[in-house]
Amino acid sequence: MKKPRSRPRLHLLEISLEGASLLVPSATVAEVINPQNMSQIPFSQPWLKGVIGWRTLAVPVISYEVLLGGMAPANPSAGKIVVLYPLSGRKEWEFFGLLTNTEPRPQSADGSQPIADNSELPDSPYVAGGIKVDGRVMIVPDLEALHRVFYP
Amino acid sequence: MTVGEHNQYLRLQLGSISYLLPGTSGYNIEQRDNLVINKSPEGNVAAWRTVRTARYPAYCLDATLRVTRHHHWYRAVFLEALPHAVGMVVDEVQLLPSAETTITPFIPLGLPPTHLGHLFSGAWVTGNQVMLVFEPKAFVSYLQSLGNV
Repeated sequence: MKKPRSRPRLHLLEISLEGASLLVPSATVAEVINPQNMSQIPFSQPWLKGVIGWRTLAVPVISYEVLLGGMAPANPSAGKIVVLYPLSGRKEWEFFGLLTNTEPRPQSADGSQPIADNSELPDSPYVAGGIKVDGRVMIVPDLEALHRVFYP
Repeated sequence: MTVGEHNQYLRLQLGSISYLLPGTSGYNIEQRDNLVINKSPEGNVAAWRTVRTARYPAYCLDATLRVTRHHHWYRAVFLEALPHAVGMVVDEVQLLPSAETTITPFIPLGLPPTHLGHLFSGAWVTGNQVMLVFEPKAFVSYLQSLGNV
């Protein structure tokens, strides 16, 4: 009997937001750190919550909730900061951080997970789509849209 | 006298926050006694520096760089610029040799607040503390946008 071919599995991290979850490839995450002293950036966009010192770099920290039109986490000091590698085409020092409520959880997907319906997803240009994992909707961020809003 | 060197940074403290200004920008530090104080409670200008027939404005800024007015200050830093110099009141000013600072590139994400771009172009990271470095042209553009009254 022919052995069924296994689908390639993609290793992901579930990043918990207020009222939603983001799903990003684990390979895009450089480190998950505890919240730390964040310096404000005068006259910045509302979704840009500040800048932190990480290793030897200054890393901007964003709230994806605010990008999606919601409110930033009420108590970010209780969560984590997920430091992501620079977006495609950007300089090697352009890491950015994402506020999250809790420690990100590893997930995996092999293409068999059901696609979330548009009606189940936030109506936002920063959402590329979504899948359902264990019945829960997880948002796939639109990295090209992020690129456009980060570096207009 | 105008001072400013490539290998220096000026630490400018506004309230509880400090910013760095590259030494490439020429600047003057003026004591309050040498300035003409704006006695009107209206307007953005805290004081003027008069040079012959010209007068250059200085503004009180809070830690988030928004205009504020208060009277408990003693000095202002004026940045050399065209078409005219422009100043800001500072709580503290300190010259830092470049050997004491390691500046890493940093540009805020999103739309810049001035037509010359973002107000910051670098940062000094010490541990998890970050001190932002002004982009002089954009910062001067912001100050000049505050008007002369």
